[in-house]
Amino acid sequence: MSLEMAAESSEGEEEGKLSGGNQILIVDEDLRELGKKAAWSVSSCKTGNGVSSLRDDNLETYWQSDGAQPHFVNIQFQKKVRLQLVVLYVDFKLDESYTPSKISIRAGDGFHNLKEIKAVELVKPTGWLYLSLSGVDPRETFVNAFMLQIAVLSNHLNGRDTHVRQIKVYGPRPNPIPQQPFQFTSREFITYSTIR
Amino acid sequence: MEAILIDSVQKSISHFMHSNAIFLSHRLCAQFPSETNLQLLAACYLQSNQAHSAYHVLKGTQMAQSRYLFAISCFQMDLLNEAEAALCPANEPSVEVPNGSAGHYLLGLIYRYTDRKKSAIQHFKQALSMDPLMWAAYEELCILGAAEEATAFFGEAAALCIQKQYLNCSTSPKLHSSTEDCNLVDTRNCVSEDAIPRQSKLMQGLKDIPGNHHGAPILGGSSGQPTNSGLSNISFYNTPSPMMTQLSGVAPPPLCRNVQPNGSNMSTQSADNSPRSTVNSTIQAPRRKFVDEGKLRKISGRLFSDSGPRRSSRLAGDASVNANPNTTVVSGNGTGYSSKHLGGSKPSSMAFRSVTVRKGPSWANENIDEGINNDILDDSRLNITSTSSSSSPTMEAKSYEQEVANIPVGGQVISSSKVITGASEILTLLRVLGEGFRLACLYKCQDALETYLKLPYKHYNTGWVLSQVGKVYYEFDYLEADRAFGLARQITPYNLEGMDVYSTVLYHLKEDMKLSYLAQGLIQTDRLAPQSWCAMGNCYSLQKDHETALKNFQRAVQLNPRFAYAHTLCGHEYVALEDFENGIKCYQSALRVDARHYNAWYGLGMVYLRQEKFEFSEHHFRMAFQINPRSSVILSYLGTALHALKRSEEALMVMEKAISADKKNPVPMYQKANILMSLEKFDEALEVLEELKEYAPRESSVYALMGRIYKRRNMHERAMLHYGIALDLKPSATDAASIKAAIEKLHVPDEMDDNL
Repeated sequence: MSLEMAAESSEGEEEGKLSGGNQILIVDEDLRELGKKAAWSVSSCKTGNGVSSLRDDNLETYWQSDGAQPHFVNIQFQKKVRLQLVVLYVDFKLDESYTPSKISIRAGDGFHNLKEIKAVELVKPTGWLYLSLSGVDPRETFVNAFMLQIAVLSNHLNGRDTHVRQIKVYGPRPNPIPQQPFQFTSREFITYSTIR
Repeated sequence: MEAILIDSVQKSISHFMHSNAIFLSHRLCAQFPSETNLQLLAACYLQSNQAHSAYHVLKGTQMAQSRYLFAISCFQMDLLNEAEAALCPANEPSVEVPNGSAGHYLLGLIYRYTDRKKSAIQHFKQALSMDPLMWAAYEELCILGAAEEATAFFGEAAALCIQKQYLNCSTSPKLHSSTEDCNLVDTRNCVSEDAIPRQSKLMQGLKDIPGNHHGAPILGGSSGQPTNSGLSNISFYNTPSPMMTQLSGVAPPPLCRNVQPNGSNMSTQSADNSPRSTVNSTIQAPRRKFVDEGKLRKISGRLFSDSGPRRSSRLAGDASVNANPNTTVVSGNGTGYSSKHLGGSKPSSMAFRSVTVRKGPSWANENIDEGINNDILDDSRLNITSTSSSSSPTMEAKSYEQEVANIPVGGQVISSSKVITGASEILTLLRVLGEGFRLACLYKCQDALETYLKLPYKHYNTGWVLSQVGKVYYEFDYLEADRAFGLARQITPYNLEGMDVYSTVLYHLKEDMKLSYLAQGLIQTDRLAPQSWCAMGNCYSLQKDHETALKNFQRAVQLNPRFAYAHTLCGHEYVALEDFENGIKCYQSALRVDARHYNAWYGLGMVYLRQEKFEFSEHHFRMAFQINPRSSVILSYLGTALHALKRSEEALMVMEKAISADKKNPVPMYQKANILMSLEKFDEALEVLEELKEYAPRESSVYALMGRIYKRRNMHERAMLHYGIALDLKPSATDAASIKAAIEKLHVPDEMDDNL
């Protein structure tokens, strides 16, 4: 699995710290966006800047929280899904003290058993940030969960509320051919594998 | 005034000046309200694609031709119940279907789309027996899977029938014996027919002309022959008709006088006619035969010789059966008639297909009124006289006549022997095409190809045939299909039929450049054709943009909801988007349109397979298999479903069949190996996979499966080797993860869940 990063991106050198950000969203062919099948909710929001701004494919609109930290974005699926990647769009230049700085991603079956699977610290990010959920072990490439929670624990310059402009969640594409142990890769196999 | 208006309207129609035609027909109807004029108005509307207006104009009318046109309007507006009621009124079960073969064809379509397959088949067969050149009906039979061999339909009997249509057989008995009825109905402007379903198919201008006027019996009256369908298609010259109609108020049935022949004199004739003229339920009337009075009286061969003497002689003469073949094919100008009728009709200018003769009755009137006709000649209407079989004896071809030997056909006079040879040539051609098409519909691919190759070069090398060949190749050889379709595009770049299949071929071959070029080309040719949007959708689907692809396919569905493939493609896209419910709905819609569309059965089988409803899945794959027993892909999935149902022995048998159905298909071999592995027949499985390695050396899944088998056999080194190769061949992310995980666990005893 490989993630392509656009030229402008740069990853922070310190462990767990991310800075910079991609201007263009590029995701592997193998992945597909799972957010459409989920129920999205947020812990609090200002009127007019609600959860729908996170999913509208518009980088001008943003979610603004309205309460005490930590702020949560909850993503609940109807069935257990395999998740591999979370991508967020944040921009320090536009949002300054509203830009998140510490983010924790938790997964589980529901609110009662969420466990942290990733924690990052952002340093003046501007653009798309790719947060991979995979572990080192190949068996941990995916996270199987009913629910994902993205928690904003603190913001830059100690801001109370946060702005996030867009969030996308990715998982692997399923095998297009059902009941097969592995997916086909060669042209001969693929051509004969379906009737259209 | 009426006659002039009618003439003008018809000229406008023939010149495709629809708004002019509509305007003038409105004036005509306002000034001379009559049902026949309403028919003309409706015909104008149908010609300019305003079926809804035609519907309103003709609502409630009773004459045969009106009912026919009304039925066409209803059909176009998708009001199938009303269309059916118009053609077959419920309270008059014995009424004959208007317009003979065309009416039966339309009825067949209605029954097809309302799920009454048997009746549909019956009507298509009837249509073909009445008009053996009605290719459209044969095509429908093939699509319904009910066509017999082409020789049955385009054989001897058919030749006889056509002959009769053009010649008047003197021997009535012969006529009677012939089964087909070649009745031609004279119609009054029937323009409409063309418009719709039939369109291209009719080459011969056997257009059905509604014989409204005739109610029929005239011809039949006495002889009652007309039984057969009673519809005769006759196109006649109309010109005189208007007048005629006026005269009798009803179309005098033409010439066909039946039976009792001789002695017809005008008076009697008219007498006969008049009563009949009204409404016709039996169309028999129209049989017009062109009696070849000439035979009796030696008429000069010229087509349009003086009408006078002829006519009278005709009238006087007994109806001999020679009918002149006036049939002019619509295309020709034909004056079919012997001029007599029209008094020197000049060859009509163009016969256009759709137009048919103006009210038939004209002739009748003519008889009555010789002089009148002469002046009003109409252009282009060709009359086809058909000899109704029944009418053998009586038809008098009044007008038509000409010398016995010379028959006007399509505006040219040809000898009767040429008609015979011409008919048999056409039939020979249709036989080959029909057989090829039938075999293709039954998915007997090799046979179909061989049959098409029997065509003469100049026919083979046409867009339609090459598209059909492409469709046959699509079943088993995409490369050849690409070639055939490519050639078809070169020769007939504006042809859209079959291009949806071509786009799928390119999709399978992953030729995205060619596919997008095709799609662009098709959209430019015709934005309103469903095939163009199917091609466009396939383009997007190849790029994995399933949402846009779905939109395109939905557009195709909107443009023609009776285009089954568009529904199926929508279904495929929904499934790709994992919206199974809508996918199922789409596949079901496709099947409603065409129950033999095996792709939709296959699609349903796949959905149920994904949803793990294995029994449903098996059922649907079996249905697909019944329709297309030669497809190795269907067989391999059937096997997969059976294996999932734990009927592995059966599954293996089916896989063997799949493998032998197409040696080039590696997938069933792979699945066989999978089944063998689950049955713990590891060695056999490995053997199969070794063979597969030769065939597709770069297929990662083969090595991955081998790795897994070696692990089960505890041959860890070999497993490692194969897993490694599998990883090198760039499997998908999920598989790479699972392979890596498997490598990690190699030295751990087998757990039940070693697949991710």
